[in-house]
Amino acid sequence: MNSRRIFAVAYKEWREIVRDRLFLSLAFVVPVSLMLIFGYGINLDVEHIPFAVVDHDKSALSRDYLHRYIDSRYFAYQGDLASEREIGPLLADSRIRLAIIIPPRFEENLMAGRSVAIQTLIDGTFTFRTSSSKGYVIAINAAFNSELLGNYISQRLGIPLETAREMAQPVTAELRYMYNQEIKSVWSIATVLMMFVLMITPPFLTALGVVREKENGSIYNIYASTVTRGEFLIGKLAPYVGISILNILILWLMVARLFGAPFKGDPLFFFLASVIYVICTTGIGLLVSLLVRTQVAAMMMTVVVTVVPSVLYSGLLVPIASMDPAGQFEAHLFPAMYYTDIILGSFLKGVGMEQLWGKVLALLIYAIVLWTASFLMFHKRPKS
Amino acid sequence: MNSDWYILRTRLGSWFSRLMAMTAKELIQFGRDTLLLFAIVYLFVFDTYMAGNITMQLNKAVVVVHDADHSAASRELIYRFRQPYFKLGGEVLDNHAGQRLLDQGRALVVLDIPPDFAHDIKKGTSVDVQVQVDASNAVLGFLASSYTAQIIGQYGFDQALTSLGIDERALENVPMVRNEYRVWYNPNQKDTWFMPISELLVVITIMGIMLPAAAAVREKERGTIEQLLVSPLTPIQILLSKVIAMTVVILLGTAMSLFFVLHGVFAVPMKGSLILFFAVTTIYSFTTAGLGLYIATLSRNLAQAALLAILVLMPMIFLSGAWTPPEAMPMGLRQAMYISPLFYFIEMGYAILLKGAGLDILWDSLLGLALLGGLIFGFGVWRFRRQFK
Amino acid sequence: MGQTSLVNDDPPVVRVREFVKRYRKLKAADGVSLDIRCGEIYGLIGPDGAGKSSLMKAIAGVLSFEGGSIEVFGQTIDSEAAAEKVKGRLGFMPQGLGLNLYPELSVEENIDFFAELREVTPVLLAERKRKLLAMTRLDRFLDRPMKLLSGGMKQKLGLVCTLIHEPDLIILDEPTTGVDPVSRRDFWTILTQLLRERDVTALVSTAYMDEAERFQRLSLMFGGLVVAKGAPEVILHDVPGTLVELTIAAQVDALVRLEKRFTQVEAVGSKIKVFVPDVTPQAASAQIQELLTGIKIEQIQVEKPRLEDAFIALLHRHHLSGKEEDSPAEMVWRDGVPPRGDGIAIVARELICDFDHFRAVDRVSFEVRQGEIFGLLGANGAGKTTVIKMLTGIRPPTGGAGTVAGADMRRASQSVKERIGYMSQAFSLYQDMTVQENLRLFARIYGVPGRQISERIDRVIQLAGLGPVCTQLAGKLPMGIRQRLALACALVHGPLVLFLDEPTSGVDPIGRRRFWKILVHLARVEHVAILLTTHYMSEAEHCDRLALMHAGKVIADDTPAALKTALEQEAGQVLDLAAEPVLSALEALEQAGFTDAALFGRRIHLLVKDVDEATARIRAWLSERDIRLLDITPRAPSLEDVFVYRILQQERQEATL
Repeated sequence: MNSRRIFAVAYKEWREIVRDRLFLSLAFVVPVSLMLIFGYGINLDVEHIPFAVVDHDKSALSRDYLHRYIDSRYFAYQGDLASEREIGPLLADSRIRLAIIIPPRFEENLMAGRSVAIQTLIDGTFTFRTSSSKGYVIAINAAFNSELLGNYISQRLGIPLETAREMAQPVTAELRYMYNQEIKSVWSIATVLMMFVLMITPPFLTALGVVREKENGSIYNIYASTVTRGEFLIGKLAPYVGISILNILILWLMVARLFGAPFKGDPLFFFLASVIYVICTTGIGLLVSLLVRTQVAAMMMTVVVTVVPSVLYSGLLVPIASMDPAGQFEAHLFPAMYYTDIILGSFLKGVGMEQLWGKVLALLIYAIVLWTASFLMFHKRPKS
Repeated sequence: MNSDWYILRTRLGSWFSRLMAMTAKELIQFGRDTLLLFAIVYLFVFDTYMAGNITMQLNKAVVVVHDADHSAASRELIYRFRQPYFKLGGEVLDNHAGQRLLDQGRALVVLDIPPDFAHDIKKGTSVDVQVQVDASNAVLGFLASSYTAQIIGQYGFDQALTSLGIDERALENVPMVRNEYRVWYNPNQKDTWFMPISELLVVITIMGIMLPAAAAVREKERGTIEQLLVSPLTPIQILLSKVIAMTVVILLGTAMSLFFVLHGVFAVPMKGSLILFFAVTTIYSFTTAGLGLYIATLSRNLAQAALLAILVLMPMIFLSGAWTPPEAMPMGLRQAMYISPLFYFIEMGYAILLKGAGLDILWDSLLGLALLGGLIFGFGVWRFRRQFK
Repeated sequence: MGQTSLVNDDPPVVRVREFVKRYRKLKAADGVSLDIRCGEIYGLIGPDGAGKSSLMKAIAGVLSFEGGSIEVFGQTIDSEAAAEKVKGRLGFMPQGLGLNLYPELSVEENIDFFAELREVTPVLLAERKRKLLAMTRLDRFLDRPMKLLSGGMKQKLGLVCTLIHEPDLIILDEPTTGVDPVSRRDFWTILTQLLRERDVTALVSTAYMDEAERFQRLSLMFGGLVVAKGAPEVILHDVPGTLVELTIAAQVDALVRLEKRFTQVEAVGSKIKVFVPDVTPQAASAQIQELLTGIKIEQIQVEKPRLEDAFIALLHRHHLSGKEEDSPAEMVWRDGVPPRGDGIAIVARELICDFDHFRAVDRVSFEVRQGEIFGLLGANGAGKTTVIKMLTGIRPPTGGAGTVAGADMRRASQSVKERIGYMSQAFSLYQDMTVQENLRLFARIYGVPGRQISERIDRVIQLAGLGPVCTQLAGKLPMGIRQRLALACALVHGPLVLFLDEPTSGVDPIGRRRFWKILVHLARVEHVAILLTTHYMSEAEHCDRLALMHAGKVIADDTPAALKTALEQEAGQVLDLAAEPVLSALEALEQAGFTDAALFGRRIHLLVKDVDEATARIRAWLSERDIRLLDITPRAPSLEDVFVYRILQQERQEATL
């Protein structure tokens, strides 16, 4: 290793990047805007679910029951329907996601101490939304029932309503949300987005940068000179890693300041782990660039190997823990998952090296494998 | 008059014949580009297949318990945390140990059952079960807490009935609302239906933007565009042929994915009219082509085009409801979704494939997409033409 | 130095034996052997696809190969590690104008990068940089980004970057292709000077046959084989024969008869050149006169064959020429009677084109008549392509106007566009489509009626001799055939006006001759107006009229003969001399006031008004300085001489302004 030659290659690359103004600004604008758009855009707190009701009873009690939905911020009341037949088209057209049907004699039966069956129709297309809405409906229904039961007990046993209510609901869950007290999805998403953005941009920058040199033919300067393979790879990629490190800091600041996610871990540990991750993702770009010949191909390959897995197999949207074994296995193949754990650990959980060393090790191994593979595949005396 | 008509007809005929010649050329080139074919097959077939294997449900989330009561009642509660949502991860001796498991990510929920749990229930005094949920992942945190609350609520309700001496079989005579849910379109809540469709629509979007952008930039880079500009072809014909060829490729990919993966592997029902679905896909791919062409006019080289494409693609996908439901968007962004063509496409895609909706129901969404598509495509064409003026 | 100092039993610097290189199925080099001796300039001459680049890359250790052996400085290059051992002593400049440089970086940044890469110490770097920059006259442009340099300057910068670590062996792949003749002369002078100062060996490839005399020894390559090797004189000696030049009014009739007998017949403007193998000049001219009895020969001259003639003869001898399926007289291909207008087909009036940083085309005017071959001659970056782009309507002119068939192409109707054929620079057809698919596409685009398409395609296939490759992918074809395909595509609809942008660049001499045969036929028989651009000086002779372009301006515009006559009247004749040592002679001549003296291989060219007086002065001047004058002869100026003179004249004018 000769530091002078590494520096020469790195400096040249850096000058070239700086001269391509659009490229340079996109290298920073893309991560920042991705973070902004997603940070504000993705939110998994399902609210304002549009729904309609068919109230065959139209009694005081049925209105009372329905108002628990209408007044909830989780639901958005779209009006009363005359009959069940109107529900189908509305659900099909996505104007409503849910419909509640109250049967005739709802009030009468309940007052007479009989149970009543009502129907709730839910649009099942988006499973996550379906389970959320179902959860809300169950909770509202349960609250209504325990009130009814309380009233009933109070009447039957002649005890005060307070006591009766307590009897009707003897066990309550006291939920405590760890790490994210208000269960703000922006916290968990903005932090994980760091993973996503740092997965997408470094490989793109790297792959396009290296392939450009191959396409132009200036790579022959490297082939024909005494620069060693390692020196070239390190020098060539140093500016891209540098840009990405700068991006780590920018994104970190955004997550902490703009989205207010608390950083509880060890900054130095997190920074170093992030650098390893960036070296890793840069390595992906490098490997892609060595496999392909043209910039179009580099672009396609990078999309295929980074964008899709980093959305699906990283824990960004879909928790790894809830995947089936095949999905979990695939997730373990991508470095994104390990870094997601490191981010969440450092930001929200406040754990450090002692808990996360395994993940860092995985990233390190990943980086070493990628770079070694690239090193072995890069030849100064290629076949064509 | 007659001869005018004849001239017009032959002119139209030759215009059309030129367009077809160019379209055939684009298709031949597609067919010869192995890498592109690989990417298309990978994204349309393997990727949608892989998407079918992931789920957004709570799946065997690990629950650990600190049971200070060790009674039959507490055990009954604990055993209600069952698969598929939960999996018991054993007991811990104190809260501190539970906290550590949460820190390490080895448990998602810690139940803390207080001493005298059974005793208090019997007495009819209210008992608090403390539940700690790892909410660092908001989706998991939300689902886990929601299910936990349901389980504990149901348990309490059952306990109340028991202590009141009401038999479970005599529930008829208790005043309560029994909510009967019916989940339509995907009654078993299979993510293997939802995720692949969503992925397919996203893949169509990615391809719809990347392909025309790459094709336009490539023709510019290779200099073949000049050869065409000197010919009697108009810029519209050059551009339209690319869009048509690309649409054909996308439709083929979609058909592959639809028949082999969605229907073949995951048995997605495909209730609606496939013709309508392909028609919508066609309009949609014209829209994305407009965006792709616009990107191509902005960039001097492929590196720039690629970064710009990401800049356009990502928000478009995120603002569409493909990965997150529109109901989870903040209000302002929910309005913004109406300018994302993917939003309409997603709604219509689900509506046709899962809900069996027809034109009578979807005409307004289709109109929205067509208007938006016409606007975007027109703009792309205008920009593309302008660079040659 | 010079040849005499070469000791033949020195171990060669490069030793190649039975070198074989394959790209998948394609064989790029098939058993090449050669030795390069210390201190010589060794040339590789051949068309694109001859295997030159593969061989040079393999010697430079940047390409692995399948068979044979290569030794450089006694080190066998058989692995990446082995190649690394000699790379410190090598300098390699790959093909392509400035492609190995970094366009966004300035001249100085480019040089510094190469120096850092080679670990040149700052002191040495400063000294070498000063010397090389002064020599290449790049010192004024230190801060200019490389992308804004002209083609010639780019190549000179490339040379500086390759030489900055003072390698012992330099390998230059087509360093002069597309470079203007003045820069080309500079380039060779610099190279020769540097080689004299240090014991450097150079391996240089070129596609220009007329550069052959600049090499001490060379290999003629074609299709992966070495067709001949040795000193240029030796190769010429191996292919005995005579070149006969005829001026005949009834050109077409004469061509038909000559082609039946001889394989190497070429119509160059108003002249016909015939290579008669194996016979003395007298016998050759007798043979031809006998063959052409009944046709009036206005003038007949015999000349020494050029290396190009020898090359073609060798290709015929090795059966590498491909089949000749057509002769121009039988090439009638357009339907019906061609419209025989003598009207003006193309007009350029005061065309101006400004780019962001500079004026690419500066008030260019000319006219092209129906049935005329008009050549725009100039280096890469002179503005030729931009002129064509403005005329064809691809690029709007900043000022002035261009019309084709009376219409401005930007607003021309479809029917006007259908009458025009265009072949853009480089190969811009669809490489992933077959020959037939390409032809069909263009036939349909240009509105050839459905029923006639197949017939038309068959005819252009026959015309361009594409029959055997009909179903092959265009990208897999050799360069010469690709260019013919591009021409066929431009012709498939029977245009009346043809625009050809660098149609023969990189094509082998046989392919070029074939190509010209078709063009001559189109112009003479079909009365098609042809506007073409080229940077081959030798090719310009074929044109009926020429416009010389330099730095965006037309610096001369006339018939080739008139251009030469004008030069003779203005500046006199060319004196061609050989002296020993040649560089001292050049220096001495410059001191003597012959400022336009230029190195031409191992010879020196200069322009003089009075031949006898100048010869006497030179003899005296050189002998005073102990420089041996080997021979000195007056010569008619070539078009290259015209071009160089006009460029220098233009530069002088601009300097005095």
